[in-house]
Amino acid sequence: MAVILLPGMLATEAGGERRFELDAATVEEALRSLPIANLILDERGELRRLVNVYVDGVDVRDREGLETTLKGDEEVRLVGAIAGG
Amino acid sequence: MVRVLVGTRKGLFVLVSGDERREWTIEGPHLVGWETFHATLDPRDGAIYAATNSPVYGATVHRSTDLGTTWTRAEEIGLPESSELKLEKTWHVEPGREDEPGRLWLGGAPGVLFRSDDSGKTWDVVDSVLNHETRDRWNPGAGGMCCHSIQLDPNTPGRMYIGISAAGVFRSEDGGESWTPANQGTAADFMPDPYPAVGQCVHKLLLHPARPDRLWQQNHCGVYRSDDRGESWERLDGNGLPSGFGFPLALDPRDPDSAFVVPEYGAENRVTPDGRLGIYRTEDGGASWNLTTNGLPEPAWAAVMREGFSFDRLDPFGVYLGTQSGSVFASADGGESWSEAASQLPTILSVEAAVWP
Repeated sequence: MAVILLPGMLATEAGGERRFELDAATVEEALRSLPIANLILDERGELRRLVNVYVDGVDVRDREGLETTLKGDEEVRLVGAIAGG
Repeated sequence: MVRVLVGTRKGLFVLVSGDERREWTIEGPHLVGWETFHATLDPRDGAIYAATNSPVYGATVHRSTDLGTTWTRAEEIGLPESSELKLEKTWHVEPGREDEPGRLWLGGAPGVLFRSDDSGKTWDVVDSVLNHETRDRWNPGAGGMCCHSIQLDPNTPGRMYIGISAAGVFRSEDGGESWTPANQGTAADFMPDPYPAVGQCVHKLLLHPARPDRLWQQNHCGVYRSDDRGESWERLDGNGLPSGFGFPLALDPRDPDSAFVVPEYGAENRVTPDGRLGIYRTEDGGASWNLTTNGLPEPAWAAVMREGFSFDRLDPFGVYLGTQSGSVFASADGGESWSEAASQLPTILSVEAAVWP
């Protein structure tokens, strides 16, 4: 199973859970199964501009984006960009 | 017990006092990390709703049924693909009427209104605003094209008003199914036609609860009063205000002739005039205005945002003001005298007073 790691604010919104283990064929499927899916994907299902998703340390925007496939042993780390004052 | 919900750029604080409103304790911050554009306590059941925004995680609404201890987030709030628009911000939550359990209204950007009939769990966009025939003549202000004011007529079911910057004021007589522009007599000095049907930059709109046909409006271009449900407006800032520019507005809940504004120099210098935080009050429907500084800081170059002013319904009524510099000033005597109830908070975006056990 892939391990999904959430930053603090998303973990709070997910009921305090920072770590999820789940089976998913793609990054999109993994993100959609999280209780905070609508905070990382907008109403068109697109990854929000300031949310970065790293699969084993590689930004999915440098791979196939949300369609990046998962074998099941990856670490998927969500990072909110540091922005604003 | 009086609770003043203070929305800030860094979450929500709640100021709590007994009915004497002299000593305040500060609870929070709640909703850490969420810019709380507005929060309100639903008088029907005591639930708190907050219009919350994150530059990273988007726009949503949070609800608490235990006065802020725990929160749940609404399901996805968004705009249909056919609109070619995306939700940018949530701005204002307005509880529905006493006989409409579970109904709430939500204003947001870009110029959108939502309705919930399940106590804020899900929100449906109001198509009549999204697809309004005048939308192509609306423009965003500096804060985006925000629907920031939602006012329900307490006596006439179906009659309600919204204010959108910069689209103007709109009235509905059928519970939001259709909307008529209500901007006659309000200026839009930044437009080629300074008195257009729509496009006015309303900053805040309030209906008087004791005389619902009377509306008050702080606009980018003046302070106005309407006595005919927004059919026509009378401009009032030439009657003793140092400037017609400002954002917040407050009322005396029992006196329809009384209103409070906090003028700023103008659009190009958004601080209070003359180096003091001055509140101007009229008690004659805007025919004259009197400055109150009793207990307010001087010198001060403060600014108060459009949601940063509120009043309660006690007798005498309380008035509350939150500044961008993080201070909350409270008056327990109808605005005669003021004291600082909180200081050094993050930038204050909204203040909403409620009386709840």
